[in-house]
Amino acid sequence: MMPPRHRQSMISARWTTHRIMNRSPLQCGSARLGSTLLGVLILFAFGCGESSRQTQVTLWHQMTVGERQLLEDQIRVFEKENPDIRVKTLYKETEELRSGFQAAALAGTGPELVYGPSDSLGAFVTMGIVGDMAPWMERVDLEAFIDQSLTFLTGPGHEQTPWLVQVGDRVGNHLALIYNRNLIDAAPKNTDQLIRFAKEATLDKDADGRVDQYGLVFNFVEPFFVVPFITGHGGWVFDSIDTNAVPVPALDTPEVAAALQFVRDLQQKHKVIPAGCDYDTADTLFKSGQAAMIINGDWSWSEYLNSDTIDAVVAPLPVVSSTGIPMRPMVASKGYSLNANAQGREADAAMTLVQFLTGAESQRAFMDQMKTLPSRTAILQKALSQEDVTLRASAAQKANGLPMPVVAELRAVWDSMRPNYQALLGGSTTPKQASSQMQAEAVEKIRRMNERREPGATAWILQLLAVLLVAGFLYWQRHNWGKLLGDWKKNRLAYLLVAPAILVLLLTIIYPFLYNVVLSFSNMSLRHFQDWQVTGLQNYQQVFSETTFFWVLWKTILWTVVCVFFSVVFGLLLAAALNGPVRGKALYQVLLILPWAIPAYITALTWRGMFDYEYGAVNIIANDVFGLPMVNWLGEPNAAFAACIITNIWLGFPFMMVIALGGMQGIPGELYEAARIDRVSRLGQFWNITLPMLRPVLIPAITLGTIWTFNNLNVIWLVSNGGEPSDKTHILVSYVYKAVFNLYQYGYGAALSMIIFFMLLAFALIFLHRTRATEAI
Amino acid sequence: MKEPRIITILRHGVLLLFAAIAVYPALNVLSISLRPGNRLRSTDLAIIPENWSLDSYVHLFTEQPFLRWMGNSLLVSLLVTLTGVCLASIGGYAFSRFKFVGRKAGMLTIITTQMFPATMLLLPLYVMIARLNLVNTFLGLMVFYTATALPFCLWQMKGFYDTIPVSLEEAARIDGCSRWQTFLKVTLPLAVPGLVITALFSFMTAWSEYLVAAQVLQESDMFTLPLGLKSFQATMSTQWGLYASAAILVSLPVVIVFMLLSRYLVSGMTLGAVKE
Repeated sequence: MMPPRHRQSMISARWTTHRIMNRSPLQCGSARLGSTLLGVLILFAFGCGESSRQTQVTLWHQMTVGERQLLEDQIRVFEKENPDIRVKTLYKETEELRSGFQAAALAGTGPELVYGPSDSLGAFVTMGIVGDMAPWMERVDLEAFIDQSLTFLTGPGHEQTPWLVQVGDRVGNHLALIYNRNLIDAAPKNTDQLIRFAKEATLDKDADGRVDQYGLVFNFVEPFFVVPFITGHGGWVFDSIDTNAVPVPALDTPEVAAALQFVRDLQQKHKVIPAGCDYDTADTLFKSGQAAMIINGDWSWSEYLNSDTIDAVVAPLPVVSSTGIPMRPMVASKGYSLNANAQGREADAAMTLVQFLTGAESQRAFMDQMKTLPSRTAILQKALSQEDVTLRASAAQKANGLPMPVVAELRAVWDSMRPNYQALLGGSTTPKQASSQMQAEAVEKIRRMNERREPGATAWILQLLAVLLVAGFLYWQRHNWGKLLGDWKKNRLAYLLVAPAILVLLLTIIYPFLYNVVLSFSNMSLRHFQDWQVTGLQNYQQVFSETTFFWVLWKTILWTVVCVFFSVVFGLLLAAALNGPVRGKALYQVLLILPWAIPAYITALTWRGMFDYEYGAVNIIANDVFGLPMVNWLGEPNAAFAACIITNIWLGFPFMMVIALGGMQGIPGELYEAARIDRVSRLGQFWNITLPMLRPVLIPAITLGTIWTFNNLNVIWLVSNGGEPSDKTHILVSYVYKAVFNLYQYGYGAALSMIIFFMLLAFALIFLHRTRATEAI
Repeated sequence: MKEPRIITILRHGVLLLFAAIAVYPALNVLSISLRPGNRLRSTDLAIIPENWSLDSYVHLFTEQPFLRWMGNSLLVSLLVTLTGVCLASIGGYAFSRFKFVGRKAGMLTIITTQMFPATMLLLPLYVMIARLNLVNTFLGLMVFYTATALPFCLWQMKGFYDTIPVSLEEAARIDGCSRWQTFLKVTLPLAVPGLVITALFSFMTAWSEYLVAAQVLQESDMFTLPLGLKSFQATMSTQWGLYASAAILVSLPVVIVFMLLSRYLVSGMTLGAVKE
């Protein structure tokens, strides 16, 4: 994969997009030649009937449900004004928008515009997937925008001249203090007051030893929420607040340590924050009037302000008493960026849309309805002169905020802060140690993220090896090829029967698989995103040189064995219980498959809620009913891992039950009759008849169950919130996922995936050989 | 024959316990969907929240293209189920009954396709789909789903055929049936529990899949249910009520499909079919 060829294919792919966007009726018509069913389907899928004279602009955004309505209204107005442009919007969640856009841009396609916060821009520019918007913005008075909302960045190919890579329509995303006037009278001016007010508002009303109302809540486990405490103590995450400076982390400072100490004391010394308080717990407590104050971002305020149960007021964050410096939150701008692949008419149309959506009318609409701070100075001024208390408080808080850096390095900073901060909360480290550890990890992560790697000496040897390997395989199997031909004549029916299935499988998997094989030997990363090339074995070396790899591998094996074992045991038990004369069998069955039927991405979150320290059902039931001690399920590494395992077993047993139940239908009743005559006990019957007879159906289920469990990202990700606490709950796939999606180490991720693949292959070979499952009868 | 009382009690004991464990988290989802004020968590254990309302459900049907999503999902899932069952039933049969060169290698290749972490395949998969012009089509999605469901289905069907005595087929052959007729008239009917599981599994694969759908489908009119459902989720500002109510509605068809199919799972069809 040499760069020039790659570029060429990108250009051709660009034309492909063009064709996809303006499908001609002819293309749709040809589909009808196929079977009727398929034809109708493709028709449906391709959606004929679009006029090709219109230019279509696609916009990916991450606006919330309420904002989406407003966006659609604005776009309708725009389309009326510009009848030759059609706009298609698509919502994607922030992280998905980022990774989806990267993939699409790499394939040479993707939406013309993306809308999102400015913090992914640094990466986008480095990857070369966003374009310069300045040529189109000449007609627009850029002076009318506040500075932060226009992001100019330099990148590969334009090291000297910065490009305009984002035009913001709003600034914000900043934290402020919201208090419930029913519970406290006024907002604290400084942190001494904050602690005092919070202590006064932390109450055990019914004196049962359990706190019913907390003084202060916020997403306590997330470093983003700690930043205002750091700034208030005089520190910052980088050594300079200048957004144009080269980002060097500055976490190993007395200021950061002091801030960490302060935050930890809030919970452990002053006890005004509930244990294990995460975003959803904080949000729920405040909304239900069980917390006096919350620190949360501008995205959440309108819900609090519109609530009937509480009387919420937005106020600026207090001044840190020991330093006299106000707590300053990070402020980000949100706006539109242009896909580097967008050209010609599409790009023109897209930029017309950007001008409209960042225009005064549009911004005013968003400000009035969503209480967001506009990016145009004039409108912002007007907001300040208005009587609207929230907007004023928001603007005041924004005014003392610090602009969030737009560099890709910020992600490495978050990833280094999070585990160490959580370790601090868990009591396994001190503020001083935590801050120096954060620094060390951030520096290392940034180094790895920005690593440039040129093809090493091993590169060409590798290519030679690959050719030799294929040739060797063909030679080794030479006798079998001949046999295959002879066998084809004899067993034609058999080949015809398996061919369609094999074909479908190979069609979908071959290309992605080979792509990954090549990728695993390549330097694809943040710095080599589009111009990556095969460099050698470095990725594999890196995997095996890390001690964490082996530790995570051990956890993965533990996870897989425990999950599969219990799923199968429970599945068999339930199938055995159901397979007999039971009243209400149908009802039992339906109830028992619910864990399989309800989408896992919501039930996993419910389980997370059930594991909450103070308010989760698991602790409440264990403590109140059985008198067991409270377990900090989500805050303690082993307990959190156990929580993930429990959730996965819950998700997995219905499947095994259904398999076993199906398998039991094939067991002839005579066998049991004979056993009964021989006075074999029920357990004996199960052990000697049921289990052996279930083997043919259980073995594939167990094999694949093991493979799926080994590669199950969802449960770990949702229950432990991406490896929390302190990245201690990872299994290999979540570990890969984090490396790839947070630090852009595509080559490294591919290598790790190859290792996973070979381990599973080895397992399957051994297991299937021992169980003789591939034999025909 | 009547069972001893103790066994009956044991059966119900086990079933009740697990039913409770299975249902409780599910009830929590129901509870979120009824909860006013967009809250994921609650500080009490009540299932029916105070001031409960059906607003989320109403909103889903009136202000979101929920029925459209459901239609898309049904179309995709049913077609995947159909293709999956067809391909697996014939492919599995060949794997079970024929000794041909490459059988073992073929069976192994089939499961190796499941071994690569799916999240890492997304990037090349997208590149491939984009080059084949299959972005925003159900065709690309269905081919992928069929491929995802097939390995398990093939192996499962092979396992089921293995449990069916060959003597039955031999008898049919002696009576003058062709190989194909034997398969259709003798073997396939006996493998019904396997087909049911295959169907259920294929359906579930297509019904709940999200990651690939998010790559392929890029228009909200084309969304399948999981995509629609996820569109209510946003970092720190998820519409929990909508999310949960949609999840409840998404699981209903699965429960219905299962109810329809489950009688084949417990009917005991082969009993007495063969005496060896």
